Amino acid sequence: MATTTNYGWTTPDDTSLVKDGASAIRTLGTSIDTTTKNLNPQTTTGAIAYRSSTSNVNTSLAIGTAGQVLTVNSGATAPEWATPTTGGMTLISTTTLSGASVSLTSIPGTYNNLQIVVRLWLPATTNTSLRLRLNSDSAANRHIVNYAYGTLDFSYDATSIPLTGNARNSSSSTIVIANIYDYKNTTTPKIGDLLAVNTETTANFTLNREHFAYSQTGAITSLDLFSLSGNMTSGDVLLYGVK
Amino acid sequence: MTKPKPEIKIVDVATGEVIVRDANAEEISQMELDAANAAAAKTKAEAREAQRQAILDRLGLTEEEAKLLLG
Repeated sequence: MATTTNYGWTTPDDTSLVKDGASAIRTLGTSIDTTTKNLNPQTTTGAIAYRSSTSNVNTSLAIGTAGQVLTVNSGATAPEWATPTTGGMTLISTTTLSGASVSLTSIPGTYNNLQIVVRLWLPATTNTSLRLRLNSDSAANRHIVNYAYGTLDFSYDATSIPLTGNARNSSSSTIVIANIYDYKNTTTPKIGDLLAVNTETTANFTLNREHFAYSQTGAITSLDLFSLSGNMTSGDVLLYGVK
Repeated sequence: MTKPKPEIKIVDVATGEVIVRDANAEEISQMELDAANAAAAKTKAEAREAQRQAILDRLGLTEEEAKLLLG
């Protein structure tokens, strides 16, 4: 019996009898119907078809949700709809500053950088600064801060990073914006920078621009904020993940 | 009257769970050490500043003149 080139549908031979025509047409029609359905398996609006592992048999992929884009699955074996990764900042947490120390733990490693925003930190004790410690690591000589740009021949010499200058314990004007870059990598020390302003022990203000480093290679998963001496009366810390 | 222990607030940012507890002995020691280190650093900076001022005085230069000279 003759067959078609691409799909192998059975067709009558040139020598077939006319009386068998109806049967031959029915067989061909059934074959076409089956193949067409295999190539177009979609049954719902917006579904698309893609080739399966079987020749001439496609798989239906239902339409995604609003805003999703077509991408390739993690096994690189099939297309799939996925929510696109967007840039920008995600607010991870907002925490009121109180007590002697606030620890932000279980920081997800799903961002590129972290940004810490401190608003209106007010110490209970005058003439003290707000500090940041990475990974609750109080071991000696693992943190360092510097206020000048350029090459610096330095040694890690601190157990925490000052986020502010010394402040008085009334009338806070503190704003701190600190960034920690590539915080989840596990092969290099960590680096960051910050801008901060706060009310000094007098009526004046301190404006800081710093860069800092932490010598350890582990991913940053927790941050401690504390007044160098005494409790924190008020203020908020906002933690953002930045992509 | 016993002095209240400093409080530690721990926030699990993944779950939102907040634990507020008294600082333990180790944490209190660390706070005291941090304060001592900061005081030592301040003393060191003040000593350095005094040394710098002494040099300026010996040379008979004002702060502005020194900045001009080094700038």
